[in-house]
Amino acid sequence: MTTQSQTNFSHLIGAVLRYTVLGIGLSVTLLPFVYVILSSLKTPSEIIQIPPSFFPKAPTWQNFITIFNDPKVPLGLFFFNSSFVAVARVGVTLFTSSLAGYIFARYEFGGKGVMFAVIMAQIMIPFQMIMIPLYLILVKLQLIDTLWGLIIPAMIDAFGIFMMRQFIEGIPRELIDAGRMDGATEFQIYWNLILPQLSAPLASLGIFTFMATWNDYLWPLIVITTHERRTLPLLLTWYSSSHGSRPSLTMAASVIVLLPIVLIYILFQRQIVANAATSGFK
Amino acid sequence: MASPGSLRRSQRRFAFSVMTPIMIYLMIFSLLPMIWAVILGFFDYSPARVGGTIFGLGESNPFVGIRNYLDMFSDSQPATVFRKSVSNTFLFTFLILPLNLAITLPLAIIIERSHARVKGFFRAVYFLPTVTSAVAVALIWGAIYNPQAGLLNSMIRTIGMTPPKAWLSDPQAFVFGIPLAMVALIVAHLWQDFGYNLVIFIAALQGIPQNLRDAAMVDGANEQQMFWYVTLPLLQPTLLFVCVMTILSSLQMFILAQVMTAGGPREQTTTMLMSIYSNAFRYQNMGWAAAMSMVLFGIIMLFTIVQFRFLRSDWEY
Repeated sequence: MTTQSQTNFSHLIGAVLRYTVLGIGLSVTLLPFVYVILSSLKTPSEIIQIPPSFFPKAPTWQNFITIFNDPKVPLGLFFFNSSFVAVARVGVTLFTSSLAGYIFARYEFGGKGVMFAVIMAQIMIPFQMIMIPLYLILVKLQLIDTLWGLIIPAMIDAFGIFMMRQFIEGIPRELIDAGRMDGATEFQIYWNLILPQLSAPLASLGIFTFMATWNDYLWPLIVITTHERRTLPLLLTWYSSSHGSRPSLTMAASVIVLLPIVLIYILFQRQIVANAATSGFK
Repeated sequence: MASPGSLRRSQRRFAFSVMTPIMIYLMIFSLLPMIWAVILGFFDYSPARVGGTIFGLGESNPFVGIRNYLDMFSDSQPATVFRKSVSNTFLFTFLILPLNLAITLPLAIIIERSHARVKGFFRAVYFLPTVTSAVAVALIWGAIYNPQAGLLNSMIRTIGMTPPKAWLSDPQAFVFGIPLAMVALIVAHLWQDFGYNLVIFIAALQGIPQNLRDAAMVDGANEQQMFWYVTLPLLQPTLLFVCVMTILSSLQMFILAQVMTAGGPREQTTTMLMSIYSNAFRYQNMGWAAAMSMVLFGIIMLFTIVQFRFLRSDWEY
């Protein structure tokens, strides 16, 4: 009886310890988010007062209103820039990845192995190695300082092709044969029969590509020079450095940039986490 | 119905009509830049000078052989900064790795043992920082580290201690010989990044069959023995994968340092990628920057090869 209650007791201690650790982790993870939101609601004088306050004394939307009304910060335009690049890259990546993945999964032709190896080699090449010549190529193509300059170098995604090929290999060949029987062209088979089967991996790849593009910083920093063509991360660093004396504005701008991606995360949290766990790519 | 022969021909035609543009595209946007990067490393090249007819190489952008690489060992200011950035990058990477594992592995084990409902919740919250914009993260942590009005110093003052006078800009401040600004960056990076390895570990732990644990339990193994003799050996492939991925991403650290410290104070947080970026695009010294990027590429390849070497082992259980 005593051993029974002892194990119960040690179980209880274990559970308390576990949840304490998880709770501490939770607060550390969430604190910066809470902090940026609370700071964005403070008045300019409160955010620099000493000693600083944690909760705003008189919460105000004034910082957001200031940003929305700033003629130098047409937020609609910057949201359009970021969305345009993200949507274009998602669309192109999904199309090329599924089409090439289908070819590699279901077609036999000379040089297939070599072509697949060439594409997979892209995974090994770090972007920093090719970024200087890529910039020079974009200069030649007159794509510097355009949103296309952010889209065109990223039209083939080796990981996406690999992922689609794996998935399409699981689709029964009978489906394709049936399509050929009905006289469908090869592209029609891809478009009408294969593509509808791919909704799950396309969603995963699409969400991942969208978030990676939305948060991309180094390449836009290199390519974009005109203020009006900035994407949101570029806008954010520019805004922060030009409003250094008013940190509450920077915090509000950060909230505006964070919000869409956090909303997407809340909606697709399950797929995003499962994706990261199985593929492990960053 | 077409004959089998013409069918196969139309299939081959379709395959080639898709693959040809993709291969041409890769030649222009991948193969060409790779070769060009290697070549640039042997030239004193700046896009500001006109140079020869082929890619602007030659004439005022002369071929210099391996001088860019030799210059890395010289006493010149760019070489000193570059060497500093190499040691900073390694310092950063090899502090991040053990700290990250020390957080994510125990946390993954704790989460894996929790009830299914809370498991999903904790995993989702812990993963949240990884999806957020690194620029926003850098600005938020910059505000947290602010010496006057920042959250961290006000917390330190609340518990009655004296905070450092500046977290990100004091070149004289060190913790165990590590620049304080570097420590601050590491903390911010850990915060943003730990979710990745955490979810990978949780998935790997879930893949360990219960009957192996039951068998160890029947043999009288306690929790610690279970971890060291059952869980850890089975996690080995995952552990290696996670280590290499963490090393590779840390070696390419850029955004947090660029936005939070701009490499300062006194180049104490300048990473290799920052050094490459500023030499190529700020000082237009692209030959020199290309040579540096080849060094970073070599280091990255080394770790990639290590991963492929050791990840070959197929684990069956």
